Amino acid sequence: MNRTEKILWGIALVGFLAGIAGLIQRFTGGHTVAAYGTYVPWGLWVAVYTTLVGISIGSFLIAALGEGARIRALQPLTRIALLTAFAALAGGLLAIWLDLGHPLRFWKLFLSTNPTSIMGWMAWFYTAYGILLLVLIYLQWARPTSPLLRLLFGLGLALAVIFGGAEGALFGVVSAQALWESALVPIRFLIEGAASGMALVLFLAILLGYLEPESGRFLRWTLLGLLLTVAVLEWSEYSTTIYAGIPTKVESLRVVLFGPFWWVFWIFQIGLGLVAPIILLAFLGERKVWLGTAGGLIAFTSLSAKLNLVIPALVVPELEGLRMAFTGPGLSFDYFPTLSEWLLAVWVVSVAALIFLAAYRLLPAEQARHA
Amino acid sequence: MAQETQTRIRALATRRAFLTRFASGIFASLIVPAVASGVLDQVEAAPQEGAGPAPMPELPEGMNGQHPIERMLQDLQRALQKPVDQRRWAMVIDLRKCVGCYACTVACIAENKLPPGIAYRPVITETRGTYPNVSRRFIPRPCMQCENPPCVPVCPVRATWKRPDGIVVINYDQCIGCRYCITACPYAARSFDSGYFYSDFEGGLPQPYESLPSPEYGENRVRRKDTSPVGNVRKCHFCLHRIERGQLPACVLSCMGRATYFGDLNDPQSLVSELASRPNAFRLKEELGTEPKVFYLV
Repeated sequence: MNRTEKILWGIALVGFLAGIAGLIQRFTGGHTVAAYGTYVPWGLWVAVYTTLVGISIGSFLIAALGEGARIRALQPLTRIALLTAFAALAGGLLAIWLDLGHPLRFWKLFLSTNPTSIMGWMAWFYTAYGILLLVLIYLQWARPTSPLLRLLFGLGLALAVIFGGAEGALFGVVSAQALWESALVPIRFLIEGAASGMALVLFLAILLGYLEPESGRFLRWTLLGLLLTVAVLEWSEYSTTIYAGIPTKVESLRVVLFGPFWWVFWIFQIGLGLVAPIILLAFLGERKVWLGTAGGLIAFTSLSAKLNLVIPALVVPELEGLRMAFTGPGLSFDYFPTLSEWLLAVWVVSVAALIFLAAYRLLPAEQARHA
Repeated sequence: MAQETQTRIRALATRRAFLTRFASGIFASLIVPAVASGVLDQVEAAPQEGAGPAPMPELPEGMNGQHPIERMLQDLQRALQKPVDQRRWAMVIDLRKCVGCYACTVACIAENKLPPGIAYRPVITETRGTYPNVSRRFIPRPCMQCENPPCVPVCPVRATWKRPDGIVVINYDQCIGCRYCITACPYAARSFDSGYFYSDFEGGLPQPYESLPSPEYGENRVRRKDTSPVGNVRKCHFCLHRIERGQLPACVLSCMGRATYFGDLNDPQSLVSELASRPNAFRLKEELGTEPKVFYLV
């Protein structure tokens, strides 16, 4: 185990141990330990879940494009991408499982699936995707020459695109939340997810010391293209919203841009998550250190985009005057995660990191390039 | 001087007598219709098998027309004779009569044994204009029992659905608490039961009233930590358990301004059909196409 790995293990273990306090509070205090409730029913854990699932899709795309679409530059990253995809998926599902009011009833998602619910479909998508990842991991390490691999990667590529978009559609179809209801949301989820997952793999590959120059170049320009697409999509969404002036949607957007957490948007989402990486990739991407920095910035600030989608839509009252109509715990339109929520989020991310590190230790990620 | 005092005392006595009679009259006019129509009895008494609707006693002289409570009860009983899929329960709220007393909110909480932070029927206060042209109105907001409820199709486990009579209900044992339906409701009419108890704010000891079973959906559940409905989404159901017993929803009965009406929209003779078809009736967010079955009169 090299020094970098040891540091990563240390960080993950500290996060895991600190986060246990949040886990204990979640199980002993139920949902009363969280700041979400009736008016803001989804909070930090939902944002973490969507972020990790997006990262999983983006990571998987590297493997699927390398092996399924035979993009040679990405093939050396197949294994690390698969492990990242699996670990991120596990973390994302853990986050949303703990967010459920009745986590032990999750099996109803399979036995009583509502075919009209995107969330119902997502349960099956995740299952299919998770099984596919496990099969691919097995084949990649045990039978790397199996002809099934390319077929499954091709299938996975289609599945990742479909359910990457479906993840966004889960929000996009909710007409009651003006900020969510947009045909751009599924596309944004897909592109943002692709960018964050690819960026994390790039970051890890550089950190763990086996990024090949060809892979680096390919990811550099791919990420730059994805980030510019994200910028165009966000500009389209926000400028049309402001111009159209639909009150509730404008109000939600005002919360994003100029609300109490404006810095999440301007500093994290735009500054560190978009502008800085674009500059680094465009002008300094030749050097690994800047390439890795750009990757890390994109990956670690991806939570801010999800926070800015999930929460501002919910903090605007559906009916004027509802804020003061009745008061009590959970009846607030102001949301900021509690310490328990933060700790549990740290725990979930640490679990995902530990899964990755353990898998990385057990399964050698070095891989021969296809002929 | 003494004569003047005697005159004042007599005048005062006469005024007192007048006020006493006047107050008694008002009180009687409020209570008599309820007593006369058997409403108070119904709150306590369980329905008797085979017993038909109680005959309606005559109303006191001087009260013109049929009392709305009496009429709504007749509408209700007529509707209950029909198959369930031929009923379409609706509510009409006359905003001109609502005085913002919150009696309906409280009655609903008491009826359904709701915990802290959950109100199926909050009352929104809306102030318009600037001084001196200011008006204030109160808008009670129960569940709209939409004809096209956006909360139903999003539920991943089919835990919520629209009954044949139009009431949107939740199966607490099926609900996984994902809260997707809350985000989908454009009226914020769904609540998440996070698990708070009044005793959490009153020294920690369980309060006796928190151990009372809730009659919701006729299930008589006693609310405990970690069991449904804690961890579930909850909502107004027009007091379905009362309707099925031939009783009006708690909010309708408790409305002291007689601003809330309830009945079968499929019955053209019903009071709600008559009121909902008036030109001054409107529904919240009609542009969404949810077709609420709660109408407001302005």
